[in-house]
Amino acid sequence: MGTFLTFVSKLDLALKYLLIILMALLLIDVSWQVLTRFLLPKPSSFTEELARFLLIWIGLLGASHAYRHRMHLGVDIFVKSMSARKAKVTTQIVQLMTLAFAISVLIYGGSKLVLLAFHLEQRSAAMQVNMGVVYMALPISGVLFAFFAIERLFGHYPGDAEQMISHTSKSKAVKAEVQ
Amino acid sequence: MDLTIAILLVSFVVLLAINTPIAIAIAVATVLTMLATMPADAALTTVAQRIASGLDSFALLAIPFFILSGYLMGQGGIARRLINFAMVLVGRFSGGLALVNVIACALFGSISGSAVAATSAIGGFMIPAMNKEGYDKNFNTAVTVTASTTGMLIPPSNILIIYSLASGGVSIAALFMAGYIPGLLVALSLMIVCGIYAKKHNFPAGLKYSFAEGVHHLVAAIPSLLLIVIVIGGIIGGYFTPTEAGAIAVIYALVLSLGVYREIALKDLPNILLKSVQTTAIVMLLIGASASMSWMLSYEFIPQTFTELVLTLSDNPIMILILINIMLLVVGTFMDMTPAVLIFTPILMPVMAAMDISPLHFGIMMILNLSIGLCTPPVGSVLFVGCSIGKTSIGAVVKPLLPLYAAMFICLLLVTLFPQISETLPRMMGLIE
Repeated sequence: MGTFLTFVSKLDLALKYLLIILMALLLIDVSWQVLTRFLLPKPSSFTEELARFLLIWIGLLGASHAYRHRMHLGVDIFVKSMSARKAKVTTQIVQLMTLAFAISVLIYGGSKLVLLAFHLEQRSAAMQVNMGVVYMALPISGVLFAFFAIERLFGHYPGDAEQMISHTSKSKAVKAEVQ
Repeated sequence: MDLTIAILLVSFVVLLAINTPIAIAIAVATVLTMLATMPADAALTTVAQRIASGLDSFALLAIPFFILSGYLMGQGGIARRLINFAMVLVGRFSGGLALVNVIACALFGSISGSAVAATSAIGGFMIPAMNKEGYDKNFNTAVTVTASTTGMLIPPSNILIIYSLASGGVSIAALFMAGYIPGLLVALSLMIVCGIYAKKHNFPAGLKYSFAEGVHHLVAAIPSLLLIVIVIGGIIGGYFTPTEAGAIAVIYALVLSLGVYREIALKDLPNILLKSVQTTAIVMLLIGASASMSWMLSYEFIPQTFTELVLTLSDNPIMILILINIMLLVVGTFMDMTPAVLIFTPILMPVMAAMDISPLHFGIMMILNLSIGLCTPPVGSVLFVGCSIGKTSIGAVVKPLLPLYAAMFICLLLVTLFPQISETLPRMMGLIE
């Protein structure tokens, strides 16, 4: 069990660095597009496509990272009014739902989509990348979601200590910046 | 038909009630509903495919960039400069600090695109300053919370981009222009309430500056305000797309905060990038999941059924808009703005089309409506942050909030009844017919 938890937190650390790099790449890519559009007679064509694909990867992988750090928006008013024991059971059910979503939609549905794209030789318009490579973000994000859900099912809550200090303010502040 | 709606409603409501992340609740409820009419294999592949294709949009890329530029601009120095700027404008009137607070929140909300960021950046400075001048701290918190939401309507605004996507491509430029007058209307009506309140409680005027000081503060605020001019001017003038404007905003904010104001150092950048990824990913998963849900809804003809149902209630557009407003106010007290916009826009759009109500008018009305929800208990993200910044409790803030809610309600009513408030500016700019 201990090895699993260490593995998961190392995985999240690696994911964090990957996300920072992808976001920086996205910024460079679109800035380059703007620059070429104003300076060159023929603007670069692959940058728009690359940007869209980067966003899919950032969105899906980042979502699993945000899940581990409990940043996703939810309606917590009923759980807050429950007894500690009931709230715990309810929270476990939510982790099971997340695990079910990860396995069925992201891993199973996503893999079928990847295989289909490879089978049909579906390629992107500008970069001629196989769309299966792009869709691979789905199953990979699914595996990450599954690891993070299992981690929580076994009662390990990363960030619990800070949550206790400022129960509403901090987590709310992060969540609400979506607004 | 009835079975699918029952499965959808029951599973979605139960999942939400147990605090499932809303995006996952949407996806799971969608899969469960689809299982009633199609094989599991097809349902799962379709949902996965819709999530990926829902994110595959160049227009959506504006969102991470505006989030990132918001984080870059969201440092103390810019808040301070905007406060000084507002002080020059309205500080000399009675209740001056409250008026300054409203203007600074509106400006900061517009630049950062986040009501929560505005509440913490401006409120963190203004609430203690107002407390010191003898203003009531609950009132100060209430003003900050409500004024911060005006940044949702005053462009650049991420929620307007999300609405553009959810509504099937209403022009972002037109939406940005449409948001100005309603946003300023809300800010103005909040300031009127502040003025009356200040008179009644004899709150003092703020700082009076000499002419030279005034000019100095105006000049100091120009680089921050220029961001709005570049972004909005560029989009409206057709020089660049909203996504490109977002990238330009990031570069501008980088130069400003790294080079000119020196508010952040290079070593802070990875952390700021990570925070932007987190905020972006939360929105993106919601968008992907909502894309799968709206595909399923139209596959099951649910928006059409809902439209027919609504039309049997009344055929008076004003009645319908009022009913929808009441429903959205209830939704807004429980749910944050982004998921509410993503879930309800595709369901309500056909009703609007049947009533001949423009999507521009409807979008602005919905976002103003849900802004009220951000400041109401039991679930109001901006209210929570405001109370923790103002060091007070939700119960204590509710009383001074009441007249401010009333002002927002009146604005909502005006925006609902008079589409001209939203449509005049985009029409003048030639962005709509």
